[in-house]
Amino acid sequence: MTGRTAGAVDEQVIDRLRDAVGARWVRTDAATRRAYARDATPLFDAEPDVVVQPGTTAEVAAVVRIAAAHGVPVVARGAGTNLCAATVATHGGIVLSATRMDRLLEVSEAEQLAVVQPGVTTTALATAAAAAGLLYPPDPGSRAVSTIGGNVATCAGGLRGLKYGVTRNYVLGTEAVLGTGEIIRTGGRLVKDVAGYDLTRLLVGSEGTLAVLTEITVALVPAPPTAGYGVAYFDSLADAGRAVAAVVGAGLVPATLEFLDATCIEAVESHAGLGLDRGAGALLLFGDDGAPAQVDAALATMVTACRDAGARAVTTAPDVATAEDLLAARRCTLPALSRLGSLTVLEDVSVPRPRLAEAVARIGDIARGTGVRVGVFGHAGDGNLHPTAVADGQDPAQVAAVHRTFEQIFQLALDLGGTITGEHGVGAAKLAWLPRRLDPAQLALMRRLKAAFDPAGILNPGKLGS
Amino acid sequence: MNVFDPEVLGRCMSCGFCLPACPTYALTGDEASSPRGRITLMRGIEDGTVSLFDPAVQEQASMCLGCRACEPVCPAGVSYGLLLEQWRDTAWRGRDTPWLVRPLLALTRHDLVLRVLGRLRRHARPGPRRHPGPHLLLGCVERVLFPGVSRAARAVDPDLQPGRGPGCCGALHAHNGRLGEGEAMARALGDRLPGTIVTTSGGCAAHLAGVLGRDRVAELSEWIVRRGLLPPARTGQARPRVAIQDSCHLRNGLGVSATIRTAVGAVAEIVELPSARDCCGAAGTYSLLRPRESARIIAPKVREIADAGVDLVVTVNPGCQRQLRTAVRRAGLEVEVVHLAELMAGQR
Ligand SMILES: Cc1cc2nc3c(=O)[nH]c(=O)nc-3n(C[C@H](O)[C@H](O)[C@H](O)COP(=O)(O)OP(=O)(O)OC[C@H]3O[C@@H](n4cnc5c(N)ncnc54)[C@H](O)[C@@H]3O)c2cc1C
Ligand code: SF4
Ligand code: SF4
Repeated sequence: MTGRTAGAVDEQVIDRLRDAVGARWVRTDAATRRAYARDATPLFDAEPDVVVQPGTTAEVAAVVRIAAAHGVPVVARGAGTNLCAATVATHGGIVLSATRMDRLLEVSEAEQLAVVQPGVTTTALATAAAAAGLLYPPDPGSRAVSTIGGNVATCAGGLRGLKYGVTRNYVLGTEAVLGTGEIIRTGGRLVKDVAGYDLTRLLVGSEGTLAVLTEITVALVPAPPTAGYGVAYFDSLADAGRAVAAVVGAGLVPATLEFLDATCIEAVESHAGLGLDRGAGALLLFGDDGAPAQVDAALATMVTACRDAGARAVTTAPDVATAEDLLAARRCTLPALSRLGSLTVLEDVSVPRPRLAEAVARIGDIARGTGVRVGVFGHAGDGNLHPTAVADGQDPAQVAAVHRTFEQIFQLALDLGGTITGEHGVGAAKLAWLPRRLDPAQLALMRRLKAAFDPAGILNPGKLGS
Repeated sequence: MNVFDPEVLGRCMSCGFCLPACPTYALTGDEASSPRGRITLMRGIEDGTVSLFDPAVQEQASMCLGCRACEPVCPAGVSYGLLLEQWRDTAWRGRDTPWLVRPLLALTRHDLVLRVLGRLRRHARPGPRRHPGPHLLLGCVERVLFPGVSRAARAVDPDLQPGRGPGCCGALHAHNGRLGEGEAMARALGDRLPGTIVTTSGGCAAHLAGVLGRDRVAELSEWIVRRGLLPPARTGQARPRVAIQDSCHLRNGLGVSATIRTAVGAVAEIVELPSARDCCGAAGTYSLLRPRESARIIAPKVREIADAGVDLVVTVNPGCQRQLRTAVRRAGLEVEVVHLAELMAGQR
């Protein structure tokens, strides 16, 4: 991890912060600093000097201005569920928590959009949308906890990415505080608006390195009336891969196409006992939503595709409860794996869809080589896979082996024409890998962009753009 | 330090799924007062990055309600309640025990005083010296505060033998930094009262089940359903509208909530409060130790009760009963807060 190079947080800074947001919302005690030293990323840990919880955009701007004047880092934080150490204060400084700014400002049925403060949780937004007969499609596994601010700043994906896209496809506008303390409004409520650079898109996935988001306008879509799901078991992932290719070849863009490899099936079954086929080499969970007839037709096509690819068994869920069980199997994969060891490292690479089965097979080879237990699950529809290593976190040799495994997996993803992160982000965890994914000219441009938004270099240093 | 069970602590993967379930996180939006934050502090205590006795760390051990709402939502199955007991067992040792807790713990050990106070208030009379059970646990708090509850439980099932001797199961001790003592008290009680121990307190049920085994313990609603003690359905009569307050330890610790609804539903029309499953802020000694947070936690619930237009609120734990009764009265609502036993007894 990078050492601390930034300006000091002295009494003067603390006093000014207290004046700006109220003493109650500025905390420097040992317990607070320890609690904010971590997010959901294993193995990363660094305490901030102070934690600030502003309540308004003006207060956010005041905090950033103080930080800029003193050269103190500002790490924006939502729920701290990111998996790339993006909210770990590697350079110390201020953690700026958005949890107090959690108001849902508006849901407009007429315009099919919602306006929220950054601290609103994904589920709260989705629930409010549903109440108006609308759908907010991005559904990261963490949605009950994660905030919209965090979702936008990481461009979160989810189980519906193939058909509905990811967070970036739904952000219409933002209000944000630049590293200078200036407040900007990008985009807005309009579907069409090309006046100026698309700064909204630039802020999506910027991981708190360009600006602090203080308000977000998202697009909503009409809620589909029905959804249906099915499950297929295969002897190997290669067979499942052929089924996916056939589905796509048939011109179908289903909402759900998720896979689990044999290690994951075994872990889920011993944990949850859902009656999965333990002997299978791969499980494919498929589903679609829309008008009833359309859903039926899509499911029929997918069942045929699976059978033709040599599936051991294919079933569709006759009712909602069964469908929920199927989705639960996919959603509990990570916790089920985590029970196998004290250290669980969930990774996130993407490869071109046709190379998915090959990628999983070669990840198996890598894991055998390093002797690390790795389960792979992910989004078969969009080529995004989550190799997950489980090990004994107390054993330095095993931790080192996990690192070696992922080094090779990242290289593999790049070799296959893929990327080092599909949806979890770069953060501090993958910064070292970024130069292998992006060429020097692009990296240099990113640094210049960062300098334009944040001349003092205080916004989340040691992460993307540093 | 060696405060926590390393296997339980190691199981947490810091995913944060417990945050939305936690009442103190809802109050503060502060990671440090969330379950994950507290677990990070526990890890810090173990590896020496924070001190167990740092006032800010102590504050988080104290602010936690111990409601265990973080347990059922945890995908990794972290037994947070156990970690909290271990934390307080070390943190509240000796002079660090909150001063308000001390006389309470002393009193509940002082069983003669309890027995006399309880008798004066006419709880159910203990049965013969050696009885094979099933036994009704007379409780410690309950025997004094709500003596009518044990009489009502006996009216519901006359076969229940009110247990002789000290009534305290030690839950209060286990939750307040006296883990060993609390477990010893539960074991002593288990030896003295053979057979099934039926309790009218969710907190006692969870603690006893943890020490004696689940099969030795039944909470009253479970007992009523299991023994077929539901009164016959009545027709043509106006049924009271009743809201239910779950007991945290019963619901989150033992997974008991459906039988309460079966029992209440047999005699009344249930109006579910949106926050029925959420902690009322009584939380054992919490309402005494942290009256301010406790009042903030119950405030939305009182508004829900007012909006629901119910005749009664039914509780399954004496602490909740006291907390809700006080809050409802203070708000000037015309709603009675009763124990499940009293509701069921009144219906036969
Ligand atoms: C069990 C589990 C499952 C997950 N499943 C998925 C999944 O399916 N798909 C997926 O994409 N991700 C998933 N994630 C990762 C994570 O939940 C997402 O990255 C999520 O978007 C993070 O939201 P957050 O509120 O927790 O943000 P945080 O973790 O707090 O922050 C994430 C980033 O956003 C920045 N940020 C936060 N708020 C602001 C703001 N107001 N202004 C500017 N920057 C800000 C931070 O600086 C940081 O760089 C999962 C995580 C877990 C633990
Ligand atoms: S939900 Fe469980 S595993 Fe996740 S942070 Fe909370 S305690 Fe840890
Ligand atoms: S026991 Fe209750 S108050 Fe304590 S951390 Fe868990 S959910 Fe929060």
